[in-house]
Amino acid sequence: MARISIDPVTRIEGHLRIDVEVDGGSVQKAWASCTMWRGIETILRGRDPREGWLFAQRFCGVCTTVHAMASVRAVEDALQLEIPANAQYIRNLILIGHALHDHIVHFYHLSALDWVDITTIPKADPAGAASIADGISTWPGNSRRELEAVQNKVKGLIGSGQLGIFSHGYWGHPAMRLSPEMNLILFAHYLQALEFQRKSNQVVGILGGKTPHIQNLAVGGVMNAINLNSLATFNMDRLGTLQSLLQDLIPFVQQAYFVDACLLAASYPEWFRYGRGVANYLAVPDLPVDAKATRFDLPGGLIMNGNLGSVRPIQDWHDQPIRAAVAEDVTHAWYQGKGAQQPWKGETNPDYTDFRDDGKYSWVKAPRYDGRPMQVGPLANVLIGYASGHPLTRKWMDAALKKISSVNGSRLAPEDLQSTMGRYLARAIRSAMLSDLALEHWKLLADNILKGDDATYNPPQFPAHECEGVGMHEAPRGTLTHWVVIDKGAFSNYQAVVPTTWNASPRDQQGVPGPYESSLLANPVVDPEKPLEVLRTVHSFDPCMACACHTLDASGRQIAQVKVL
Amino acid sequence: MNMKRCNPLLPPRHVCVIGLGNVLMGDDGFGSLAVETFRCEYECAPNVEVLDLGTPGLDLAPYLYGKDLVIVADAVEAENTPGTLRTYREADLLSHQVQLRLTAHDPGLQESLAQLRIVGHAPSELIIVGMVPESCAFGAGISAAVLSKSSVAVHLLAALLRERGVDCRRRHAQLQPNLWWLPGDRSEVVSA
Repeated sequence: MARISIDPVTRIEGHLRIDVEVDGGSVQKAWASCTMWRGIETILRGRDPREGWLFAQRFCGVCTTVHAMASVRAVEDALQLEIPANAQYIRNLILIGHALHDHIVHFYHLSALDWVDITTIPKADPAGAASIADGISTWPGNSRRELEAVQNKVKGLIGSGQLGIFSHGYWGHPAMRLSPEMNLILFAHYLQALEFQRKSNQVVGILGGKTPHIQNLAVGGVMNAINLNSLATFNMDRLGTLQSLLQDLIPFVQQAYFVDACLLAASYPEWFRYGRGVANYLAVPDLPVDAKATRFDLPGGLIMNGNLGSVRPIQDWHDQPIRAAVAEDVTHAWYQGKGAQQPWKGETNPDYTDFRDDGKYSWVKAPRYDGRPMQVGPLANVLIGYASGHPLTRKWMDAALKKISSVNGSRLAPEDLQSTMGRYLARAIRSAMLSDLALEHWKLLADNILKGDDATYNPPQFPAHECEGVGMHEAPRGTLTHWVVIDKGAFSNYQAVVPTTWNASPRDQQGVPGPYESSLLANPVVDPEKPLEVLRTVHSFDPCMACACHTLDASGRQIAQVKVL
Repeated sequence: MNMKRCNPLLPPRHVCVIGLGNVLMGDDGFGSLAVETFRCEYECAPNVEVLDLGTPGLDLAPYLYGKDLVIVADAVEAENTPGTLRTYREADLLSHQVQLRLTAHDPGLQESLAQLRIVGHAPSELIIVGMVPESCAFGAGISAAVLSKSSVAVHLLAALLRERGVDCRRRHAQLQPNLWWLPGDRSEVVSA
C-alpha cells in the first residue's frame, strides 16, 4: 500500500491537494482537500447589492464574469426584477464567449499534455500526420507545411535542452500512447489555440467594455447604450465586428477542438471505464431567450444514480425544489459546526485542524442536494440535455459518438460518457453547441435592436423588508449559485456555492465522498512516483479552486509536489 | 501576422501597462492600485493600453500577444522590507530571481510567455515593477507601507515608458482614481 500526496494539482488558481492510497496498481481511497481558506462571502456583508457583482467578479481571476453574472441574477431574483430582452442577449453572448475561451484553454493548455507526449514529435512524419488530420476534419490548419513548422519548433525546443514550462511533463510515461503523428496534430492545435483564446476574449471585451473584468453589468440589466446612429454606443459596426469574430472562432471550436476531443477519446478508449464517481448530476437552465427568462437554450435538470431515464427537468430559475434541497455540510471541512446548512443560513467561521483522514481535512464545504453529492459541469450539462431530448445536445452528442466510432469502430452510448474521458468529450460537445448558439443569440440581439428596441436596463427598487434571492448560472465548470439575503438595501448574508465546491467536495456527515474523491477509486496508477493517471481524472473536472477556497502563498518552482509516503 | 518592431531604434508601437494581483487580498492589490492611479495621473498615446488584469493565470496570454513592450506592476515575494520597490527583467523571472506573490500569477506569466515565444508573439521587452507586500491577508486593504510607496511606483511606470520613447505625460487635470475595493476613500493618500 502506497500513499501518494499531490499538492498542488491545479495549474491555475488555487491550491488543491489530492491524497490517494494505492494498492495493486489502483486507487483504493482518495481525499480531495483545498488547502487555503477564503472567506469571500464575509467581505460582501453590509455592502450595497448594486455593487456586489464588482466584488464577486474578483473571487477568481479566471472565472470573473461568471461570478458577476450570478451576483446580479441573485439580486434580481430577490427583488423579482425583470431585465430587458437586449440585456439577456448581451449577457448570454458574454457568457458564451467566456465559456468558449475557458473550454479551449482547458483542453489545450491545461490538460492536453496529460495525454500528448511532445517529446515524440520529432519522430513524427508530417505528411502522415497531415493525411490523418485531413481524413477526419476540414480544419485548414492541418496542412503538411503547418505541421512541419510546428515540428521544427519542437525540435528546436528539445535541441536547446530547455523545455522550460514543458519540463514538468510526465514524458515517456507508459500511459502516454498516442502516435508521434497524433501528438504533432494536437500540439499544432495547442499553439493555434492561442489565437482563438484571443478572439473569444475579444467577444467578451466588445460587449463587456473590458476584460477580464467586465464593466457593463448592472442589477436590472446591462449598461450598454444602444443607438444605431451613434458611433460612441453599441451600433451596427460593433454588431458586425462581433459577428466576424464569432465566424472566425466557431470553425476552430467545431473543426479542431471538437474533432481533437473525439480523436483523443478514440485513442484512449479505456478511459471511458475509469473515473465515473458520483453519478448524480445537476445543471441549471441558462441562456434565456426572452426577457422574463421563461425559455432557455441550455436545459437544466437532475439525473440520479446514472439513470438517464430518471431525468427531472429544472424549467427555470424559479424552481422551488432546488432552493430547498441545496445545503452545505461542514463535518469534514475546516469550519465551525457540524452537519448541513441551507446557503441563505450559511456561515463561514473557520475552525482549522490538521489534515485528518477521518476528521476535518479541507477548506471546501460539502454541498449536497437532498443530502446527496452531485457532479456538476459539462458532463452533467450534456447528459441532462440528452436525456431531456434537447435537439442541439442530441445533434452534437450523436456527432461525437459517430466520429469516435469512425476512428476506432467502437459503439459508445451516451451513458458511457460517465467517466474521465466522458468529461473531456462532454466539454467539447458543449463547446460545439455553444458555438451554434453564439450565432443564434447574436441574431436574437441584432433582430431585436433592428426592430427598434433599445432598452437595456430596468432600475432596481429595494423593499423595506428582508428578502432572499438566488442567482443561477451554468458556468464552464458547472452549476454556480449565489445566495443572497438583502435587508434595508444591504446584503445581510452572501454565500456562493460554486462548481468546484460541488465537485471537490469532501466527505459529508454520513462519510459519503465527493465527486473527485469517488472518481479516483479504481483509477489505475502504474508508477506511484509519476501518478499521471490520477492527474488525468482530476483534470477532467477542470479544477479551479480560487473561488472554492482561498489562494495564498508563493513558491511556484514546482508545478506539483508528489510525495509518496 | 507578425507585429514585431522592425527597427529597434524606433519607440515601441504596441505597449501594455498591466496590474496583476487580487484586490480582495490586501497588498496583493498593489498592481491594481498602481495602474489605476497611473491611468488617472498620466495620459499616454493611444497605442498604450493600461489594464488591471487581476489574477488571470493562463488567460494572461491574450494581453501579452504581439506587444513590443509590457510593464507589469505586481506584488513580489522577496526578503526585503515591506514597501520596497524594484524592477525586474524577464530573465530574472526565468532564473527565479523574482517570484510573483501568488502561485496563481507565477505559472500564468511564465507559461503565457513561453507559449507566445513558441508562436513568435511574445513581447519584445518585459519589465516587472515589483512591490514587497506587508500583508496579503484576505480583505485587509492596502497596508500603510505599500500605500506610502505607491506614488513612487506610479512615477516609475511613467519613467520606464518615457525612457523607451513612449509618449506619456502628466495630465493637466488629474482624474479621480476609482479604488472601489478599498475601505473608505484612500485616493488622496495615493495621489502624488
